[in-house]
Amino acid sequence: MTLENEYAIITHHITKKFKDFIAVKDLNLKVKKGEIYGLLGPNGAGKTTIIKMLASISNPTHGEARVLGEKIPDGDIASKIGYMPQETGVYLGLTVDQNMKFYGRIFNIEKEEMEKREDELLKFVDLEDWKNEMVENLSGGMKHRLSLACTLIHKPELLFLDEPTVGVDPELRISFWKYFNQLRENGVTILITTHYMDEARHCDRIGFMQKGTLIAEDAPSKLLQDTGKDSLEDAFLEIAQKDDRKKVVT
Amino acid sequence: MKFFRIMAISRRVFRDLANDKRSLAMLFIAPIFAMCVFGVAFSGDVEGVNVIIVNQDQGFTPPFSGETTYLSKEIINNLNTTILNIQNMNNIDEARLIVEKGQASAVIIFPEDFSKNAILKSQNQSYPSNSEIIIEGDDSITNIKNAISKSVNQALSDTLIENGVTPAIKVTSDPIYGEDADFIDFFVPGILAFVVYLLTTIITLITFVGERSNGTLERVMASPVTEGEVVTGYAITFGTMGVIQVALLLSIAILVFNVMVVGNVLLAFLAVAILAITCQALGILLSSLAKRPEQAIQFLPFVILPAFLLSGVFWPLQAIPEWLRPFSYLVPPTYAVDACRAVMLKGWGIDKIWPDILALVIFALFFLILAVWTLKRGKK
Ligand SMILES: Nc1ncnc2c1ncn2[C@@H]1O[C@H](COP(=O)(O)OP(=O)(O)OP(=O)(O)O)[C@@H](O)[C@H]1O
Ligand SMILES: [Mg+2]
Repeated sequence: MTLENEYAIITHHITKKFKDFIAVKDLNLKVKKGEIYGLLGPNGAGKTTIIKMLASISNPTHGEARVLGEKIPDGDIASKIGYMPQETGVYLGLTVDQNMKFYGRIFNIEKEEMEKREDELLKFVDLEDWKNEMVENLSGGMKHRLSLACTLIHKPELLFLDEPTVGVDPELRISFWKYFNQLRENGVTILITTHYMDEARHCDRIGFMQKGTLIAEDAPSKLLQDTGKDSLEDAFLEIAQKDDRKKVVT
Repeated sequence: MKFFRIMAISRRVFRDLANDKRSLAMLFIAPIFAMCVFGVAFSGDVEGVNVIIVNQDQGFTPPFSGETTYLSKEIINNLNTTILNIQNMNNIDEARLIVEKGQASAVIIFPEDFSKNAILKSQNQSYPSNSEIIIEGDDSITNIKNAISKSVNQALSDTLIENGVTPAIKVTSDPIYGEDADFIDFFVPGILAFVVYLLTTIITLITFVGERSNGTLERVMASPVTEGEVVTGYAITFGTMGVIQVALLLSIAILVFNVMVVGNVLLAFLAVAILAITCQALGILLSSLAKRPEQAIQFLPFVILPAFLLSGVFWPLQAIPEWLRPFSYLVPPTYAVDACRAVMLKGWGIDKIWPDILALVIFALFFLILAVWTLKRGKK
């Protein structure tokens, strides 16, 4: 009981297969409420696959998981989570404003509240001047900024952010992370994937993934300490090598 | 299912179409263009058909009268010269050569004893020889062949009536339906259904493949929106679009091409709207087989050809080989074409076209359920 109150995400030996290919293997992941958990790992490690299972977009092949205390994929949590897909997930044929309004409408946000939220978020992602522009005319980074704004429109308790800062300029990335910290202070839980190691340092905990399994998990400072390295890249490489060797031995 | 979410989806699809000039052009300009091209090509009757007349008729001089009657000349005078473009020749073989070369469509031959036989036969039914008009021609184009034989028959019966002879046997073909129906009248109901079928399927297919590849579908599926709501939202938009398309096309057909509409057009709207709903579900279904928008293009022949060949748009189902006909009943536009034609040409009401509507509803439900099922299965 207490576990469920303490953790936003608990997975039990969760596995995802695509035909014979195992994308996520027997994974046990726990994310505490109100923490920022970063998933790191090379391309194809299975980060997106995990997020999709947790967001109930994709069903696990084996194992089970609880998100916000509910079993997925049947639990009624959709209105409490915010999912930002790796492929921006915004409508190119709509304007910035029309995108925001659409995502607001499906969460039944009232008109006045909607306007307020939209103004706030567009200000935060610095797209106020682009409100009536067609999304197809925005730059890649701007599309990602809009995507984040759309994810936050309904004030979700739990955020799944799949590489939210790809192509976003450094200045804005810093303000993104400030905002993420602010959200965490308000009790929001964030599961984030990234390839930027400098960002990973901002996470409360990070999980290193390789070939569908979690090979190490801890606070960034702790991981650095344990491996005796001074960058997370090196720490990851060290752990990944050890993990490979271990597999060869057994 | 929540109504506000369905409407949110439907509204968004509308917006998307309305913002995109190309989709709009495809939905509205292309059908009008197609209609005009076909309309101009098929409008009105066949005219100016080149025929050669070889008149060998020697005429008939009744005993004791001395006045020779040439029935053939009277018939020729009665031929409709708008439809037939007449050239006279004496030599049958030369005339046949011209037809063979394709410079004329037929040779119309009046034999030597044409008048004699005709008159003697009319006076005495037991007279052994018949008189006949021989039409030798290129029968490959039915429209033209029919136009020629129709004109000759008309001229013949006019001549007989002028001479105070009522033909012993008269073939009348009073149309029960489709009085004065031209090919364009037959064609318009078909093109309505075909255009809506084609464009709805293609546009949903392309839009939905886009939704799958750019992450919007996933984002929507991660929200409280259900698969059923997505499909219903799309259905509302495309059903409405179908009605707008039909309204537009029908207005042009009626105003520009004087197409005949005998029945209640609302029934045609209904049939086409249900067809559009079926087609958007079909588009969603097909989209699950394509990973990228370009791949969707490869499905086009499979979408276009069966409907084109089997649904009776361009020729009636009766003209389709019998072994193929069962397949006609497997393509949804068949029913919409049939319903629209029955309503517009024959003026049938719901009491008679309900089997078509029922078939369309069954198709719609079947494809809608299948579309929802594929979306759900995508999670596996
Ligand atoms: N729908 C699918 N069908 C088949 N294989 C898939 C599918 N989705 C993902 N995979 C495979 O699963 C593995 C994990 O993919 P995933 O997208 O989770 O990686 P990732 O860690 O997010 O990588 P990246 O850093 O590039 O985003 C990859 O090898 C990928 O090819
Ligand atoms: Mg990924």
